[in-house]
Amino acid sequence: MKKSISIPVILVTLIFTACSKKDSTVATVTPTTVKTKSITVNFSSSASYTFFSFRDTTVVANADSASAKWDFGLRLTTFLVNSYASGPGNAGVILQDGIYDNVTAAPASGYAYDTTSSQRAIKEGSWYDYNPTTHSFVPKAGKVFIFRTADGHYAKMELLNVGYEPFTGPVPQRLIYTFRFTYQPNNKNTF
Amino acid sequence: MCPLLKTMKTHLLLIFFLLTASLITIAQDTAFNAEKNLSEVVVTANRSERKLGNVAVPVQVITQNTIRRTGSLRVQDILQEQTGLIIVNSSLGSALNGYPNPFGQGVQMMGLDPAYTLILLDGEPLIGRNGGILKLGRLATGNIKQIEIVKGPSSSLYGSEAMAGVINILTLPPQKENAEFQLQNATNNTWGTGFSYGNRFHKTGIQFFTNRYSSSGYDLDKTIYGKTMDPFRDWNGQLKITHDFSNKFQLLISTRMYDSKQKNDYQIIWQGNPAIAKGYTTEKDQSDFLQLRWQMKKNKKFYFRTFYDHYTNHSFVNLEKTTIQFDETSFNQSILKPEVQFESNRKKSRYVAGAGSYFEMIDASRYAGKRNLTTLYAFTQKEWNLNKDKITLIAGGRIDKRNDFAAKISPRIAVAFKPNSKWKFTASSGLGFKAPDFRHLYLSFYNSQVGYSLIGAKELSSQLQLLEQQGLLQPGANINPYLNNPDLKPETSFGSHVGATFNNKKWNGEVSMFRNDIHNLIDPFALSFSRSNGQAIFSYHNVNKVYTQGFSIDIKHLLMKFISLSAGYQFLDAKDKDVLRKIKEGVLYKRDLNTYATSLVKKSDYFGLFNRSRHTANFKINFNSSKTGWNVYARAIYRGKFGFADLNGNNIADDPAEMVKGYWMVNIAASKTFHENFTIQAGTENLLNYTNPVQLSNIPGRLFFINLNYSFVNNQHKNKNKEQ
Repeated sequence: MKKSISIPVILVTLIFTACSKKDSTVATVTPTTVKTKSITVNFSSSASYTFFSFRDTTVVANADSASAKWDFGLRLTTFLVNSYASGPGNAGVILQDGIYDNVTAAPASGYAYDTTSSQRAIKEGSWYDYNPTTHSFVPKAGKVFIFRTADGHYAKMELLNVGYEPFTGPVPQRLIYTFRFTYQPNNKNTF
Repeated sequence: MCPLLKTMKTHLLLIFFLLTASLITIAQDTAFNAEKNLSEVVVTANRSERKLGNVAVPVQVITQNTIRRTGSLRVQDILQEQTGLIIVNSSLGSALNGYPNPFGQGVQMMGLDPAYTLILLDGEPLIGRNGGILKLGRLATGNIKQIEIVKGPSSSLYGSEAMAGVINILTLPPQKENAEFQLQNATNNTWGTGFSYGNRFHKTGIQFFTNRYSSSGYDLDKTIYGKTMDPFRDWNGQLKITHDFSNKFQLLISTRMYDSKQKNDYQIIWQGNPAIAKGYTTEKDQSDFLQLRWQMKKNKKFYFRTFYDHYTNHSFVNLEKTTIQFDETSFNQSILKPEVQFESNRKKSRYVAGAGSYFEMIDASRYAGKRNLTTLYAFTQKEWNLNKDKITLIAGGRIDKRNDFAAKISPRIAVAFKPNSKWKFTASSGLGFKAPDFRHLYLSFYNSQVGYSLIGAKELSSQLQLLEQQGLLQPGANINPYLNNPDLKPETSFGSHVGATFNNKKWNGEVSMFRNDIHNLIDPFALSFSRSNGQAIFSYHNVNKVYTQGFSIDIKHLLMKFISLSAGYQFLDAKDKDVLRKIKEGVLYKRDLNTYATSLVKKSDYFGLFNRSRHTANFKINFNSSKTGWNVYARAIYRGKFGFADLNGNNIADDPAEMVKGYWMVNIAASKTFHENFTIQAGTENLLNYTNPVQLSNIPGRLFFINLNYSFVNNQHKNKNKEQ
């Protein structure tokens, strides 16, 4: 697993370095963030969500769950998007079929929100297949998450892998989500 | 692959050497007991006795002799050596970190899952399927007369479940005085002992069989707590009694029991800490059968039958060294099946018809209360012999009306053409179906360890309302779309075959091409909301359309008087039509497992349905010298590459990493009979020691066994009753 992650990380780092060099000539534009991240997500339904911020490229503390500091939250396979029932943010999402690299712009409208706690933007089972033979949650290939972030910027995200944190006994404790994303920090909708 | 091939070669050389060596020791003047294929009587293909040479659908017969020569004491070991039959694990779940897989293994036939092959014992169904799989390990081979395998939809005679075909295991009828004692010892502290006795007294015949089989199990992965296969012991017993009241009336009473106990011993998480759970799984199956045969006229007869079967499965585990119960499940199923059958056999035509009912009851911890299903059925089949018996035409059909869905009609037509004594050409077409079973309809299962729910289609509406009232649904969940959940439709198949067989003194060949189109396959799906604990709720719906097609070739050759060779091969192409459509439309993606780059799936990427091997083959060689009493039977079975699980995000088998490599099983048995009655046999199974702890945990490593057999048959008794 570690080996397979390191290749895209290196690739991404290269791209990132390339981008920042190019962009550094224009002083007013903040470079886009292109990263592959792995986050740990609780398996148990009684445990807390893991919140993530595209802007900060990091997991947000649970103490900030009621703030607009995070964009999406995850527990087992349940996605929260920071809007309405889930949080005070303005985050929305479009789950689009296609090839990640070919998504070059975020649409102006059509975003789904967590309008109520039962009408969530990202539906259970819409982005993964549960395999009863291996007990694994395999993210569906060709699903691109286009986010409008909690603070009104745009990001595209793709899940690369969902695996179990090593465990003993029949019940896993935590899942590891690996995803890549591109965050556009400027007032643009292109990636 | 290369080292494997290399070891293969070494081993094959070794086998060849052994066989040559044994050949030299065999005297040249021995008579070979050729399998009298064509005159063998089979009962399954037409639900009445026919010579194998006259049957118009593909039938394979495994004789008692063949079973004895393998030395195997379990039915599944015998079945997996047949062309086109593959023993597979349940697609529903394998062991996770040593946690036991409760489903066991079943037979895949013509690319269809084990749930779609009807398994009969003496013509009556075996019950106690778990997740669609009937654990074949529970059948002993000691009293089997022959096994008949009918390929292709056979619902026209047998109703539900006979979608891929029928396997009918026939046990010895009471015919003559006989007694037998068997003792086996094998690797893993495996012991088998069997005893059988039969006799005829005037007009009464009895046949008794009992068998005990036990093993300490095996462990393929020592790093995981618990054994891969836990220790178990099985008891089997059967008593058959026949009585001839007169030439016209014959009574058959048969009672059978199976009792199995297996240890459970695995690691769990208890209050956040690893702990050990221990207990037992006990399985019991008890059946009674009563049949009255009335030979009304010389060519007309009636059978009146009643079959009752009661199966229970109880499993529990307690926390080690405590009385705290960690898990308990129970499963209780019974059926009652009264039936009348009529047969008429004229020179130019034969006719068979019957009617009956099937009362089924289930009471299980995973079901919401006791459930009953009733099926009424009738079948009819006519067979015409035309053009001086060169052409046989068969047309038949069956109607099944279960209380919860519309009547299902399953027709079948078949034709056989025999231009001469050497060749036979056959073709058949038929509809098969499988009614949604109890679990699809009534399951109400909550996994307390993980927290998800699996609810049968009929229970969904009431269970959701209940969960909503109890506040166990995600707040604000909208259950309305599921309140009028459409009823599950039976899964159906349309299958056809064309085949040719050739027979002469030295050669026996059979080629068969088949195609099955399956509709309304039942699959689990996740509801659009979850439980209040955030875990998914699953139910069942009809979705997939799949097809399976391919061909099989079987060739037997009598090389010398006492050496016969055989080879079998099946090519299988089994695919999901929806997947093919998506590929064509360009909406199915794959993720590269190394670079994570996403791209469209090409048609050539798609390997086919999971768990299906494109190529399977078997090679067998048998030395038989009845004069010296020696018999050597060596078999090499190949199962080609197959898809195991999706890894790259499209739920299909298309990436090389998703495949299990092909493998060989080499089994050899050698026996010597002394003074006609006493046989000593030794052998090995899985000589190449193939193991795959994750994907094929059902395959233990190399096994050695030794069998002692004492058998006595008094041939002076006339065989008064050919039929059971």
